[in-house]
Amino acid sequence: MMRIGCLRLTDSAPAIVAHEFGWFAEEGVDTELIMEPSWANIADKLAYGFLDAAVILPPLAFGVDLGLRGAGQPLIMPCNISLGGNTITLARELARAVRSLAKARGLTIAQAFAECLKDRNEPLSLGIVHAYSSHNLLLRYWLATASIEVGREVRLSVVPPARAVEALKSGQVAGFCAGAPWGEIAARTGAGEAVATSDDIWKSAPEKAFAVRAHWATENPEALEGAIRALARAGQFCDAPENASYTGALLSRHRYLDVDSHAVLSSLPGGAVASRNLSRFWRHAATFPWVSHGLWFLNQMARWDLVGNVDAAALVSRVYRPDIYRAAVAPLGVDVPLSDAKTEGAHGQDWQVEASPHPIAMAADRFCDGRVFAPDQAAAAS
Amino acid sequence: MALTVLLIDSDDARARALEQKLAGPGFARVVHAQAGDIAAAVEKERPDLIIVDMALPDRDTLEDIRSVSSASPVVMFAGTDDPAFACEAIAAGVCSYNLSGVAFQDVRPIMASAIALFQRHRHVETELAAARALLEERRLIERAKAILMKDRRMTEPEAYRWLQKKAMNESRKLGQVVADFVAIHEGPPQEQRS
Repeated sequence: MMRIGCLRLTDSAPAIVAHEFGWFAEEGVDTELIMEPSWANIADKLAYGFLDAAVILPPLAFGVDLGLRGAGQPLIMPCNISLGGNTITLARELARAVRSLAKARGLTIAQAFAECLKDRNEPLSLGIVHAYSSHNLLLRYWLATASIEVGREVRLSVVPPARAVEALKSGQVAGFCAGAPWGEIAARTGAGEAVATSDDIWKSAPEKAFAVRAHWATENPEALEGAIRALARAGQFCDAPENASYTGALLSRHRYLDVDSHAVLSSLPGGAVASRNLSRFWRHAATFPWVSHGLWFLNQMARWDLVGNVDAAALVSRVYRPDIYRAAVAPLGVDVPLSDAKTEGAHGQDWQVEASPHPIAMAADRFCDGRVFAPDQAAAAS
Repeated sequence: MALTVLLIDSDDARARALEQKLAGPGFARVVHAQAGDIAAAVEKERPDLIIVDMALPDRDTLEDIRSVSSASPVVMFAGTDDPAFACEAIAAGVCSYNLSGVAFQDVRPIMASAIALFQRHRHVETELAAARALLEERRLIERAKAILMKDRRMTEPEAYRWLQKKAMNESRKLGQVVADFVAIHEGPPQEQRS
């Protein structure tokens, strides 16, 4: 039995689909899907063995592995789940002011936001979903490109996405960064508008990953590989535009996300015309656990003082497991990257990555500040 | 020394029951916070211990309590050598954040009371759910009998025997058979209207 924890998020889709369609069972893996209301529950339940695996934020997986926020538990990430899907949503009036200023003065959205903050006496509150989240790291990265200082000009606090609309309306926060569908839900109520997405900060940014307790993985190697195959199959299903309405309806059920299916659809591939914020589940090697992704997360966690002195290269090579991914999907005959890492931010256009048996078409992976993150340099610097 | 305990619970009655158990001279000062209002409550009350219902999404706000409190909160007695106690709490659906470094031995009886209450609550919920399911099954049986009596002109005992026989032939539970039967014969509400 594999007990998998998920949150009420669009990118829980592959785990929900694989479970509902019986694809885990077809691979001989008996699964229980447990919807949790908080990342803290996911972390504690992994730490104390109430969950064997979870669809998780990679920074939180490092946090659990290193015991940074409570009891620790060694984890591995043998499979990525999604790319992109987050929005930076601001209260409607503020969003409109930022956008029109950007347009009038030829500024980036981040620069225009910085301008809007200048006349304030106290920091503006923005919500994130957890301290150890991709949202915290992406938002800070974006703010830093416009020299907006966290603590002085903005204050970050944790607001669960399910409470974000309420918090926007009451003025508790002026904006928030969260995964789909919560930005869309805020937009639909009229409370807020998205001013930036994951792609606006880092194109093809890694989002959720599949984390498994290392002990469970050691004891159940065959089930682990079966689970990865089922997730890869579900990733292909969720990525196919023709399946969007089905996936949206499934996810919106009371038992899962319990939200308007149209809000879920808007960030599913094929779900909406010209959506600016798409989660990707298969194309562009979305399920491959790139070691360079793990190194970037650790690099940014160190930048913002979320992790102390660690040997990043050693930690990532223990936790990110492309070797297990390759072995697991081999029977499927799908294309798999030959290298474990790539130079992040080096591609402004579509490109191809060396893969076996055929190269994989990749999308741009540029950062909003044009920087390049080379894994070799990162390893040397740590 | 009296500790200040902040309770964050989705169930008001349970929170009051826990307060009654804990509050008393020289024991604990108990304060409540509404979900969504937690950071402000922590800043105002400066609790030593926070007890929170794990069914609430607001736990994540507490994870970042450093932004409102200088102390580093200890999640669920991490670092103590009693992981079984933490497991008991998780299984009951309650967890704690220790903010002021009070000794585990001083916090333990407070958490034990909370765990006991949450366990009892869970037990009651399970029984309630079972009772509701039984009522629903009875309602469906009545409905299915009414359909058979109207459409096939059966008497009430005939209708009941017919349903029992159908369940036996299909080796399914009577509850499932009547649920499907009623769903097929009544259909979704839209079809009924058309």
